[in-house]
Amino acid sequence: MSGPLLWLILFFVAPVLFVAAYSVGAVGIFPSDTGVVSLDAWRHFLGGGSVYMSLFWKSIRMSLTVSIAVVLLAYPIGYFLALGVRKRKYVLLLLIIAPFLTSYLLRVLAWKVILGDAGVLNSFLSWSHVRSPDEPITWLLYSQFAVMLVLAYVWVPFVALPIFVSLDNLDRSYLEAAGDLGAGRWRTFVRVTLPLSLPGVVAAFLFVFIPTIGEFVTPLLVGGTSGYMYGNAIQDLFTRGTAWQTGSVLALFLLGVVAVLMALFGRFIQARSVTA
Amino acid sequence: MIEAAASRGALGLLRLFFIALVLFLYLPIAILAIFSFNAGDVSFPLEGFTTQWYERFLTNPTLFNALRRSAMVALFSSTIAVTLGVLAAFVLVRRNFVGKPAASALFFSPLVVPYVVFGVSLLVLFTAFDKILAESTGYFIGLGLHSVVIGHVVVSLPYTILTIMPLLERLSISLEEAAQDLGASPWQQFRRVTLPLLAPALISSFLIAFTLSFDEFAIASFLSGTQATWPVYLFAQLRVPSQLPQLVAVSSVIFFASLLLVLTAEVVRRITAKRYGEAFASRGLA
Repeated sequence: MSGPLLWLILFFVAPVLFVAAYSVGAVGIFPSDTGVVSLDAWRHFLGGGSVYMSLFWKSIRMSLTVSIAVVLLAYPIGYFLALGVRKRKYVLLLLIIAPFLTSYLLRVLAWKVILGDAGVLNSFLSWSHVRSPDEPITWLLYSQFAVMLVLAYVWVPFVALPIFVSLDNLDRSYLEAAGDLGAGRWRTFVRVTLPLSLPGVVAAFLFVFIPTIGEFVTPLLVGGTSGYMYGNAIQDLFTRGTAWQTGSVLALFLLGVVAVLMALFGRFIQARSVTA
Repeated sequence: MIEAAASRGALGLLRLFFIALVLFLYLPIAILAIFSFNAGDVSFPLEGFTTQWYERFLTNPTLFNALRRSAMVALFSSTIAVTLGVLAAFVLVRRNFVGKPAASALFFSPLVVPYVVFGVSLLVLFTAFDKILAESTGYFIGLGLHSVVIGHVVVSLPYTILTIMPLLERLSISLEEAAQDLGASPWQQFRRVTLPLLAPALISSFLIAFTLSFDEFAIASFLSGTQATWPVYLFAQLRVPSQLPQLVAVSSVIFFASLLLVLTAEVVRRITAKRYGEAFASRGLA
């Protein structure tokens, strides 16, 4: 039992503890690190006024929008596969999930190629004379819209899974009972199916919300300056210059937010639905 | 049952929506693949069929180097992750001990930790360690493929555990007990009975971990140092417009290769899950 546990303690728990220590100045890496332990970096970040705090809330807003959109898109898919298909539902499910299992970077790249000023979409519009070549739709790429579209695209397949699982495990006799008691299909859905599938919906929501708050790859490729997110700030602080202490504060704060979310809603997530 | 869930009209709408979503999911990738054969750049109008982008990447040594590095990292990290995953799955399925819920939470927590946080944490750890090492011995290790391997093992581990656990739960413990009764040592019992029965789960968890590592960008971007892996290289090259068609070509190849790998893993897993379900389940343990 010690092998995997040791690996995680050395390379997963210890690094996080190091970041925590670094964020209060207890560890020195650069010559500019004073070695004085203080909470100044934390105070500055949490005390309002910090640009990073407003960036955090912007990222939360974007992640929330994406998560809600994705759940709304994925629910009908899960419903259709679990309750509307008689044969081959696992094959169809795999059709939806398969893109998720392939390269993330490539899927983002595909959209970058499509949305650019001289990209596939704009060049198609001007080639087919829908728009003049001098006026490409510029907000398609390097915008918050682009970031949210691509994030939704990337996460829909993954989120269909927990929703499907919760609906597929539903006891069908409830639906028949509701019908026998005179409820129409819509009423059955609102009063029986939807409430029973809520745990799956919450899990699906968290599956998108948690990873997208810290997202930095998609904004980097399609976000430009207006699509810049909290995760980009962390990446920049660690890859440009030596402001690692601020970066450590930001990283640890994000981890804390995730921990709180998991403590509140983690019971809805069954790790198993990841590979169901 | 379907009648209770949706009317004929509603079912038609759902089917349409499903088809639309499948198109939404696959169209961008299809576009990428089509343009990889386009003689012009990556925009309309299409200017004729060519395989020059494919030929060009086949003769691009830096690109191949990056691919080779990623393959190495994926090979090492998935081998380690599967080995550790087997051990962890055994503990979680077969043992009871104080602190098991905590251990289980630790095993699965890499699933929810944002990669950017994990990446920079390892960066801080390695840098701090190197600094101490350099001060005391004059040597240091530096970042590179080894650090990427270490990080990828951590994030693949939950997936390998989750793939191995269900099969292990279905495997009747009586098979192992029978081997023991027949005089097998614990090692023989593992090598001759448990391991062959687990083989399908090991293959599919290896394939999952391999694809995950091969494509992983966020963690690798912090830890690869000067030894760019394939996604890190791809990302850096995206800033050079003239490189784009070539990158689109190699990307399409890799997309379909990884799709094939993942589907193979999935098929292997489902077939064996079914077979084992019939043969071994419901003997009190499953």
